[in-house]
Amino acid sequence: MIKTPPYLQKNDTIGIVCPAGYMSIEKAQACINTLQEWGYGVRIGKTLGNDSPNYFSGTDAERLSDFQQMLDDDEIKAILCARGGYGVGRIIEEISFKKFKKNPKWIIGFSDITILHSHIYSNYEIAGLHAPMASAFNNGGNENGFTGSLKNVLEGHKIRYQASPHVFNKKGEAVGELVGGNLSLLAHITGTSSDIKTKGKILFLEDVGEYLYNIDRMLYQLKRSGKLNKLAGLIVGGFTENKDTERSFGKTANEIIHDILKEYKYPVSFGFPVSHEKENYALKIGVGYKLKVGKSKVTLEE
Amino acid sequence: MNRKNFLSSLLTTGATFPLSKFMEVHNEMNELPSSIPPYLKIGDTIGITCPAGNITLEEIQPAIQQIESWGYKIRIGDTVGKKDFTFGGTDPERAKDFQQMLDDNSIKAILCARGGYGSIRILDQLNFTGILAKPKWIIGFSDITFIHSHLSRNFNIASIHSKMCNSFPDDWSKAEPVQIESILSIRKALSGEQMKYDIVPDAANRNGSATGMLIGGNLKTIETLSGTKSDMQTTGKILFVEDTGEYLYSIDRMFWNLKRAGKLDELAGLVIGGFKIKPDDPGEEFGKTLYDIVLEKIKDFYYPVCFGFPVGHQKENYALKHGVIHSLEVNPATVSLQEIRSAKS
Repeated sequence: MIKTPPYLQKNDTIGIVCPAGYMSIEKAQACINTLQEWGYGVRIGKTLGNDSPNYFSGTDAERLSDFQQMLDDDEIKAILCARGGYGVGRIIEEISFKKFKKNPKWIIGFSDITILHSHIYSNYEIAGLHAPMASAFNNGGNENGFTGSLKNVLEGHKIRYQASPHVFNKKGEAVGELVGGNLSLLAHITGTSSDIKTKGKILFLEDVGEYLYNIDRMLYQLKRSGKLNKLAGLIVGGFTENKDTERSFGKTANEIIHDILKEYKYPVSFGFPVSHEKENYALKIGVGYKLKVGKSKVTLEE
Repeated sequence: MNRKNFLSSLLTTGATFPLSKFMEVHNEMNELPSSIPPYLKIGDTIGITCPAGNITLEEIQPAIQQIESWGYKIRIGDTVGKKDFTFGGTDPERAKDFQQMLDDNSIKAILCARGGYGSIRILDQLNFTGILAKPKWIIGFSDITFIHSHLSRNFNIASIHSKMCNSFPDDWSKAEPVQIESILSIRKALSGEQMKYDIVPDAANRNGSATGMLIGGNLKTIETLSGTKSDMQTTGKILFVEDTGEYLYSIDRMFWNLKRAGKLDELAGLVIGGFKIKPDDPGEEFGKTLYDIVLEKIKDFYYPVCFGFPVGHQKENYALKHGVIHSLEVNPATVSLQEIRSAKS
């Protein structure tokens, strides 16, 4: 049975860390201010605005230690990853979840953070929060419904999301635990101890900046590793800023996904608002949801 | 400890540990040596097909002329000249062409015209039972790594990892010596010469000696095979990897996949081929070299490692017999990779 971390109370503290790529404090300021406006305390980890000379927000040891401290500190009720990028996979084996297992807390993020969500869900059956990160709060993003959905989830409200119909949708109803995240990372963790099982689950996928042929290749990996054949349902999020080869691949990302799903009968929703764009609702990984794909609307509710 | 002492202290463990480990594991798995397809004789026919990207008949003319000059006949598959966007024909067309080549007993080897992307889309449609009884050489690299690995893992059949039609020089007289030598190594492999490559050592190599089945290919492809039925089983083997056009962070991530999937734990040896690295975007400097990336993943293991082996997306890309037992000797002064023949072959 999946364990859900406690929802937040007023004045609870949220820790902000960068387990992967670098981010300056300035770029996270709107997020920090907003979390405070929501009534939470904020603890800034050493990796946010770290003086790292390279891509990462600190050495592996620094990123590990910062994350581990937040994980083990009982004062910290949730950990928000300020950004993804690349780097969680380098420290995941070193993180100790011993204390966290007994006292779970929400871990918030997406993209590279997919590894954390999958790892925790598969090994410890604890729910995670696939949701907007710090940069989503910039440029007025702190007032939209997507960062707003994070607030609602943290406060413990059950949300019912709606999405627009899509010509590729497959109608039907599915009930199951929600798993998924970034396609590249889900493909990358296949065969490792962080890998996810998808049987009877609702899987969601999104990605950014990938070559179309590579999206096809990654989907074949999911298919050939048995991850697509026994789903309860599938949610296709945004596949944005796709790249194409000099000789065009000849299909859009949605067409690629639509084609590979031909033999399956479960409901599928395309164009769901989970992505690297603004449209990115907070979703609880590992929690049971009901997906209804109808002719005129799509709903996803806990 | 200075580097020299460090290396010599590793030498003793490096020389014995992987070999004994290999024997032990080898017995445990009761793995049979690969079945080696018959080598080609003058007058034998090689089929050319496009399981992945498309190519025109004109583009493969240099390859045809060269291979015919070696005394082999060429059969041109239906997919040569076909184009379905990036693919050499639709999935059914590519699968059908490849299947015909597999099933036709008069074809003794199948040369993939080029890589690109697409083998994975037809792999599960192919029926390899015919070549179980009558194995034949399948030749290619890059995207063709899918086929090599699938053949080795499921059917225990050896194959040839080498350049393809698109790498034959238009004008043989103007080609660089390494390019010519790379092309001619395909002929050596096909005609049954015992393969042996001596290369210049790299200062970052880890010395030692290893014996085991040689497997590997394109790193991205190996990562994509993870968790599937074509996945590589690397225990006790000499693994070679190469890649092109990837960012350092992506190469790092792929090596993490290998490590976390246990593929680096029990190798006999590791051969790092060519890596054409995509430069970091400004402000996103990765801060680690390919050497750093590889060495940190294998620091807990003691097998020999050689860098800069001439295999990959470069002019110097020698034919390697995938699935065949090789010895790897990495010494401060020499590096050699040599095919080992059992008494029977």
